[in-house]
Amino acid sequence: MKNKITTIMMVLLAALITIGGTTSCKSKKRLAREAAEAEYKAKVADAIKDLNAILNDETVWTLEEKENRVKTIKDWNLQNAEVDDLLFQVEKKLARERAMAERLAEQENQTGAQAMGNTLETKFRNIAVASSTDQANRMINETLGLFESNNVPVLIIISQAGGFNDYDRPTTIAKYLNYLKDQKASKNKVYDIKYNGNGKISELELIKK
Amino acid sequence: MKKTIISLVVALFIVGGAMAQENELSFERKQAIDSLALEKVRDLSKYIKIAGSKTTPWSEANRVIDRAEELFMSDAEIGVSSLSSNQVQYYKVRKYFERLMRLNYDQVEIDWYNIEYVSDLQRQPDGTYVGVITIFQTFRGYDKEGGLVYKDTTKKDITVYVKRKETQIGGRTIGFWDVLLGDMRVKETTNK
Repeated sequence: MKNKITTIMMVLLAALITIGGTTSCKSKKRLAREAAEAEYKAKVADAIKDLNAILNDETVWTLEEKENRVKTIKDWNLQNAEVDDLLFQVEKKLARERAMAERLAEQENQTGAQAMGNTLETKFRNIAVASSTDQANRMINETLGLFESNNVPVLIIISQAGGFNDYDRPTTIAKYLNYLKDQKASKNKVYDIKYNGNGKISELELIKK
Repeated sequence: MKKTIISLVVALFIVGGAMAQENELSFERKQAIDSLALEKVRDLSKYIKIAGSKTTPWSEANRVIDRAEELFMSDAEIGVSSLSSNQVQYYKVRKYFERLMRLNYDQVEIDWYNIEYVSDLQRQPDGTYVGVITIFQTFRGYDKEGGLVYKDTTKKDITVYVKRKETQIGGRTIGFWDVLLGDMRVKETTNK
């Protein structure tokens, strides 16, 4: 009898452990699902909040930051109708802002290049009409400071007939500035300027007036 | 048969036209290289004036000689004449300039004028354009008191060679016209 009771107890204990384990496993899965759902809901809420903020210009983010945020939201792949609709609108808005920013940058570049072109042409004229060799040399040294090195290439366009450029033999900026001093005339206009990462001129293209 | 002949003739015209276009420059481009060669001769006249002047600092004169040498072909010679001799001496470019700097006057004035083509640039079979530019040079030598000691006018002919070349700059291939001066020959010297 005692043995029977022990056996029954053992079987009941085993059953309890088995049932308990199954319940615990089911509970973990549910928790994980609930966590995933909560995370999804939070992401959807975040996405909607941020996309609306971008759409209504309520952020202090730069255009790049806004674009990065949109990319992150797209990478989440939320498959939510409201988020998709907002993404569509925001992408259109950012594309317009990007186009505008590029136009402005281009205008700024052109204005900057034109200003530097005018500055260089003035310096070239001043070197050409300097009253003495010493004065011309001082101006040459000052002008060279705008360039990456004394050996920056200078290209001079002599003709643009037939749709392509014909050049004189390429020279260097140091030789060109001395040439202006020797010839006492500045006969070329600035056509194009290239800069290095430090804002120094790394290539100069001139064209015959 | 007739159709084939006509097609061949048309094809020859097209190919010939394309080759001619490649070989012959448009009027505007030819004008640009004509002017470029004349400009190089004018540049040379300034270098001669600077190197010849007794007021030019030695370092400047030497720099100018380097620039002048770059204008010439490596074996080019410059003729030098004098009213006192019928002989014309020819010197390599650097030698000519060094001699010019050492001339025994207290002041020297050299001016070039009437710089023009006597023989237009003509395309040679190797693609080089060759022409002759004539110049008139007046030379005046003065003594310490500023008195004119010597004066002559010399007519000189300079052969010019213009060749299309290519170089790489900033990762780009740049096609340029390289103008090089050849011999500078004395044609006549007068006391005018």
